[in-house]
Amino acid sequence: MEQQKTITVALAGQPNTGKSTVFNVLTGLKQHVGNWPGKTVEQKTGSATYDGSTYRLVDLPGTYSLTANSPEELIARDFIIQEQPDVVVVVTDAAMLERNLYLVTELLPLSTPVIIALNMMDVAKQEGRPVDPRALEQATGIRVVPMVAAKNRGVKELLAVVHDFVHDGVEYAPDKPEVREDHRALLDDVQAQIAGSVPAPYPEDWVALKLLEGDKVVTEMMKENLDPARWAKVEGLLREYDDAQLAVAGGRYEWIERATRAAIERPKAGAITRTRRFDRIATHPVWGVFTMLGILIAAIVAAMAIGMPISMGIMNGISSLGSIVAPLLANAPAWISGLVIDGIIYGVGAVLAILAFLVIYFALFGLLEDIGYMARVAYVMDRAMRKIGLHGKSFLPLLMGFTCNIPAVMGTRVIETERARLKAVLLTPLVPCMAQTMMLTFFAPLFFGPGGATLVMVSLILGALAVMGLSGILLDRVVLPGERIGFIMELPLYHRPNFRTVGTYVWQRARQFLTRAGTVILAVAVGIWALSYLPNGDVETSILAAIGHALTPLGNLMGLNWRMLVALFTSFVSKEAALATMAVLLGAADTEAGLAIALQAAITPAAALGFLVTQMLFVPCLGTLGVIVEESRSWKWALAILAYLFVIAFALGILVYQVARLVM
Amino acid sequence: MLMRLLSLVAEGGVHSYATLADQLGVSRGLLEQMLQDLARMGYIAPVGGTCDTSQCHHCPLGGSCATDTQGNVWVLTAKGVQATEDKHRGTGSSPG
Repeated sequence: MEQQKTITVALAGQPNTGKSTVFNVLTGLKQHVGNWPGKTVEQKTGSATYDGSTYRLVDLPGTYSLTANSPEELIARDFIIQEQPDVVVVVTDAAMLERNLYLVTELLPLSTPVIIALNMMDVAKQEGRPVDPRALEQATGIRVVPMVAAKNRGVKELLAVVHDFVHDGVEYAPDKPEVREDHRALLDDVQAQIAGSVPAPYPEDWVALKLLEGDKVVTEMMKENLDPARWAKVEGLLREYDDAQLAVAGGRYEWIERATRAAIERPKAGAITRTRRFDRIATHPVWGVFTMLGILIAAIVAAMAIGMPISMGIMNGISSLGSIVAPLLANAPAWISGLVIDGIIYGVGAVLAILAFLVIYFALFGLLEDIGYMARVAYVMDRAMRKIGLHGKSFLPLLMGFTCNIPAVMGTRVIETERARLKAVLLTPLVPCMAQTMMLTFFAPLFFGPGGATLVMVSLILGALAVMGLSGILLDRVVLPGERIGFIMELPLYHRPNFRTVGTYVWQRARQFLTRAGTVILAVAVGIWALSYLPNGDVETSILAAIGHALTPLGNLMGLNWRMLVALFTSFVSKEAALATMAVLLGAADTEAGLAIALQAAITPAAALGFLVTQMLFVPCLGTLGVIVEESRSWKWALAILAYLFVIAFALGILVYQVARLVM
Repeated sequence: MLMRLLSLVAEGGVHSYATLADQLGVSRGLLEQMLQDLARMGYIAPVGGTCDTSQCHHCPLGGSCATDTQGNVWVLTAKGVQATEDKHRGTGSSPG
């Protein structure tokens, strides 16, 4: 080998691997910046000397792969094919090795020898995933040069290795990626068809591979260079194997897995294994469900145990406030004292009392969400369903409805048939979301007392789980018979709770709630009070009573007196408004008793269950309603869905009441 | 490798990154790469922009679910399902 020959080295690499740093360290000031001929992409070339030889360095554009999809990739691959550098050095980030090696797999089918610069060794070590350069070399048959270019360590060694490689004539026999076995015959056939017609200097085997991948530029090129009969044959072969790109790409990933198996140390300690260990229980089809029930119930009970006494205290305070204000307004017209005390103080006061409870709830669930647990819920449900034999029948968006119905509705978009999608949308409101569960947690103790409340909550949650299981079967039989929809879900790593995040979140929610209390709920409270006062100050003959009495048949079916029925209807506007309504109407009936006592006197446990079920099912929340209307895309369908929700909510409420009556 | 991934998912239901990585014998980083590639080729698609946080003010829980801890969710597309039913697949298991 003449020592005076200029050796051309192409520098390739994916973006952010430190390629520019390597280039700069090697060339120093001896670099020239311009554009690639005829293109707007920047070109950097430079020179370096080592041991008497001159090296011409060409910095290729940073690319992830060598497809025909971008000018940068075309420039990079055309340079290597046309200019035939002596060596291609691929700069890789040791901390992202698996990703970066993809470019290497694209380069190996070309005839230019490859050398790997393993950069950012320090970062990889820091992140607990150190790479063994010798193991990588052994597994691949490619020279590997470790370095930390940013600190100018190992870069000179790269030149030394290139020098030795070019001058020593050492054998270069790398392990090359292979196409999946069932496509090798195809590859051979295509290569046979194009043999002799591939324009120089394109390598025939590379061209055949690219044809399998559906590479636009190569396909055009061969179409022009092959006689029509042979091209038709090639086209025919490729059409038959229309997923050949999977076979090609899959082969590359197999290569990467082989190359890195020994070279990358799997993380031994830290966040990843902690997550895996906990998830072994948390996502177990049986234990996971118990864990979930345990955690949810513990959170609910804690919220009740801490929040209820505070809420009750506030409600008693509200009552006292009413008693204090009453004599002050003794001389005012009856309607003013009524409005202020019964309407505003009791109505809004009841809702403020709920705030204490809500804050606890926000904090507990905000915490669960922050550490990453809530993301597991849908996944556990799916595994539980699989365990009981419902293979492939779970529909992830529906399961996600347990946290919030909105992504559940939006997730139905994955169903391509319009009618089927609408049917799936109909199933979503049946799954109670976290917010509904929360409101139930507040109402339940009011209706059933703390002991009974826990039992009711557990039953309702189990009921929700049963609904989710049934919905899967319904989806399978009625909506998308026989089809199995596959989902892939990333479960984020668990991490330490960030109390500041949770604290901020709780504060924001509480503030938002107070604002709503001051506006919507105040309006509802005053409105309800007004309707119950007019026309002549007597509740029993008021407008509201008239409306309530008109609905008596419905009320009878549900075991609700007209006051509770009115409260039920207001719950469709907002759950908090329902509470205000109850306070206004029941407070008016007995100003001294606490709301809980009044409620328990106004309604039997069986009727309370029916009430809870109905208010849970109809209009899960205005947000969900909005999304359903959007997704149904026509007023006809939106109204139909509303009507359906109305009927289902009352039908189930009535059913639950009638059955509970017999049982209780 | 990629076909095995698609076949596993085509059985239906929800597959976590961790389980898939184990079943394929790859690291999570490599799995994430494969998923990006499959998405680019159209065999899987993201399940959608799942949260519309503009609606959260309607909810008493006010968006407790819409935090940064949400991970990616993908669905197997019709193209992906069809690929697993391809008659040229060498592994011999029956389609669907």
